[in-house]
Amino acid sequence: MSTNNEARNLNESKSSEGNQPSIDFEIFQEKSHFWGRLTIWSVIILTLMVPLYLSFVLGFHPGWAVIISGFLAYASIIMFVWVVEPISYYPILGVSGTYLAFLTGNIGNMCLPCASMAQSVVGAEPGTKKGEITSTLAIATASLVNITILIFTILGGSYLISLLPESVIESFRFVLPAIFGGAIAQFAIKKPSWGVVGIAFGLFVNLGPVPRPLQTFLCILGTIVVCMLLDKLKKDNKAE
Amino acid sequence: MEQVMQVANSFPIWVFASLIVFVVIFQAIIFIRLATKTSATVGMTSKEVKVAIRTGAISSLGPSLAIIFVAISLITLIGDPVTLIRIGIIGSAAIETVGASIGSQAAGADLGSSNYTAQAFTAAVWVMCLGGMGWLLFTAIFTKSLGKIQGKAVAKSKNVSILNSIAFAAMIGAFSYLGGSEMVKGYIETIVLIIGFICMPIILNLSNKYKLNWLKEWSLGLVILVGVVVGYILS
Repeated sequence: MSTNNEARNLNESKSSEGNQPSIDFEIFQEKSHFWGRLTIWSVIILTLMVPLYLSFVLGFHPGWAVIISGFLAYASIIMFVWVVEPISYYPILGVSGTYLAFLTGNIGNMCLPCASMAQSVVGAEPGTKKGEITSTLAIATASLVNITILIFTILGGSYLISLLPESVIESFRFVLPAIFGGAIAQFAIKKPSWGVVGIAFGLFVNLGPVPRPLQTFLCILGTIVVCMLLDKLKKDNKAE
Repeated sequence: MEQVMQVANSFPIWVFASLIVFVVIFQAIIFIRLATKTSATVGMTSKEVKVAIRTGAISSLGPSLAIIFVAISLITLIGDPVTLIRIGIIGSAAIETVGASIGSQAAGADLGSSNYTAQAFTAAVWVMCLGGMGWLLFTAIFTKSLGKIQGKAVAKSKNVSILNSIAFAAMIGAFSYLGGSEMVKGYIETIVLIIGFICMPIILNLSNKYKLNWLKEWSLGLVILVGVVVGYILS
């Protein structure tokens, strides 16, 4: 099975791309690990340099006690999210998507919608190789667009935005609900029953007595489990 | 407060910010090149590669603009380059504001208040940077193990279809959670979400019916536009 696949991959890579050398999916993942780790470690070191510079070069060190107490308070809010988000989003993002999305940020509001939109336009299923390549292209492009817009804004746009009337700026908070409504619909058309399950969990974790840090994880896990059970029930019914 | 802004906008901080931005851009370019090279072996045409890139670009315009509008509020509190760093990498504007105020409060000052000193600013930067590092460390260390677990599961073809279903359900779960967190904010958010929910299938149906692929690429942008306009009228 796997040798067949390899042979086909080789044939395809020879025939389709002509002079541009192509690589197969396993090498792609290996290279993704290398470049993904290299870039993320570089950013870890660079972001640490900023507070170190402020503290020890400029001499504004607030004291370790202050830093640690602040960090612990902050960590108690977001600690779970550090672990839960990469695990929960991994099946959707894949290896390369994880490295990209967790460096550039804005996963739920930008990376995921862009990835799923590109997959639906190209006609690739999430979780497949083609799906991962498609989402990688979309997320990487989104990351570039995002950082470009950010640079321009910071270099001069903050002035332009101050010219806009307050009410227009205010209404930008409706971007998120619009995105999420659209994205839920995009999936719910394909599997309406799963859509209902998802929305039920979404409302439950937000309205019910679920601690904030566990909400994302519980909602994603709960939706997966119930949808799998639904699928199994359906198959069992057919089998009988 | 003025001393803080002088420090926050000083040249060395800009240098760090530029380096970090450079790494983000570099990473995106590397991955586009890698994915383009791999595309043929997973059965993607070069036209599909272009479509994926274009869709990513168009769909990210709306979210990026929205992110920036929120980020503006941070500039007055932590300065230009630190805002660039914190918004350019993992962490949303909302959570970074939380981190910055906790850090500053630990040093005994509210963000932007009259006793907001360079020390308080430094504490805020420490807390934001250490806080954002959690995601980066976990991703850098554990993505490979996550990949191995998935790799083992993919070895059986029956598992592949299960994994696809899991990815699909996870996507529904993620968006439902995020959507739910918007709905609890107020009734206008709820209406806008429902509008988006209704608009998206209509646009997708139209593009399927009349074979308008470009309309599909613009669908998220259009949904955002309609949602914001409706929200603007209602509020």
